[in-house]
Amino acid sequence: MKFSKIPLRNLLHRRGRTAVLTVLVALLAFTLFSGAYIMLSLHSGIDSLEARLGADIIVVPSSAKSKVDLDNILLQGTTGYFYMSADYFDKIKQTDGVEQASAQIFLASLKASCCSVAVQVIGFDPEADFTVQPWIEKKYNQKLETYDVIVGDTVNAEVGDYITIYEKNCRVVARLDRTGTGMDTAIYTTFDTIRLLLSSAQELGHDLKISGDPSSVISAVYIKTSKDAAVESVANDINLHVRKVQAVETKNMLSGVSSSMTGISSALVLLIGIVWILVFLIIIFSFIMITRERRLEFAALRVIGVSRKMLAQMIRKETAIVCLLGSIIGVLAGCLVVFPFGSLIEVSLGLPFLTPRLSTAAGLAAGTVLGALITGILASLWTVRRVSRLEASTILREGN
Amino acid sequence: MKNRKICVLDAAILILFCLLTIGVITFLRPCGVHEDGSYSSCHWAGRILFGFGITGILEMVFVLLLQKPFRFGVNAAVFLQAVLMVMIPGGIVSLCGMNTMRCNLIMRPGVQVISLVIALLAAINLWMIWRLIQKEK
Repeated sequence: MKFSKIPLRNLLHRRGRTAVLTVLVALLAFTLFSGAYIMLSLHSGIDSLEARLGADIIVVPSSAKSKVDLDNILLQGTTGYFYMSADYFDKIKQTDGVEQASAQIFLASLKASCCSVAVQVIGFDPEADFTVQPWIEKKYNQKLETYDVIVGDTVNAEVGDYITIYEKNCRVVARLDRTGTGMDTAIYTTFDTIRLLLSSAQELGHDLKISGDPSSVISAVYIKTSKDAAVESVANDINLHVRKVQAVETKNMLSGVSSSMTGISSALVLLIGIVWILVFLIIIFSFIMITRERRLEFAALRVIGVSRKMLAQMIRKETAIVCLLGSIIGVLAGCLVVFPFGSLIEVSLGLPFLTPRLSTAAGLAAGTVLGALITGILASLWTVRRVSRLEASTILREGN
Repeated sequence: MKNRKICVLDAAILILFCLLTIGVITFLRPCGVHEDGSYSSCHWAGRILFGFGITGILEMVFVLLLQKPFRFGVNAAVFLQAVLMVMIPGGIVSLCGMNTMRCNLIMRPGVQVISLVIALLAAINLWMIWRLIQKEK
């Protein structure tokens, strides 16, 4: 038998012990891979949200339960709508420090016979908008006709399909890239279209709580402040001088999300750290026990001519095989959890969640396997040192 | 020894089928009834999967009582059935429009993961039974 086959034979000879060590390493790899994947997705999500929001201040009607509804719409994709007169737009735009302003109109379709899907509909002005338009332009740079809509990534409709919203058939002309935010569950269209949908909703008897003509309302105003203006001052100015509206700084919205994300990331890091230390210690103790149990075997190998170096290599190989197998199993188990259940994790966390590309996930998997291998080799260092120093003659004389 | 391993795998597949069957009517259930009393297509996907689950349980109960060549055939059927079960939610039978609905969030991934594991175990079983049959020839 070739000496190189001995490590594998040794592992197969003690299947129970090998299985336990493999499971431990698999647990480490699973925790490391899944935890890192979730943390990466959370970080990407918040970066995506920052990029997508684009505005420094968002102004909403004060009747919209402060900024809670806006958080839910933008971050979690829950449907909602609130309205204020379009006259407020000019007043807000004239405030000192406002460099750019664009309005949006929100509408929620229903899970009912009037509508094929229950989604958030967002109307924007393609000429003036600076939050969604730059992002939409990357996918669709033609003029949006009446009843043309652009869908977020998680809306189940393909380009060319028709979506019924308040009994109006809207044609899907483009599908946006995933952002990991509530914007993925929304449908985007022009002011003209959304105002027609508002009228249709009212005709069908849905009370949208609009006082007056639906063609003269907006839901929110997005503001970009000038470089020399303090965002907080502009927001305070608007709150002071424009009645019945509330100006919300987007950084406050983001800071809430950031602190939640930091909490979750810290918990994941702590969990990974605990599992890593536990597995590391268990592997060390396991190898100590294995070494004691196999002293005679090692002594016999030394007697027949196996050098100390070859003996150390044998143990390292056994460790490497167990760690490689365990880490591959752990990573595969992690893939079975995070890939299919990614949407569930996203909804449960209620935070922006943008899953990494396949190449990044593959890199993460490779890093996890490498990490597990290094952990195993480090854990077996003491054992290797002990074994390479043992005196074969003494052990054989003593019998154990 | 090898026979015991095959029995262990058969038992594991039986447990997974039980989990799936109970699951599609409890924690893996599809979306509920609409306000007007109608059902979404995901409801029917759930019903089909329930039927497949019951069939799978019966298959595995028979397998535990059968001779090796028949076990090979039944395990082959289980493998194909599991592959079909992976394709049902969202493939052969469409689910609800929004990816945030229960059928897309919970039912589809849950059913697909369990079915994949069943397919994998059935494939391993097939290989082991085949080797056993070849050895005995």
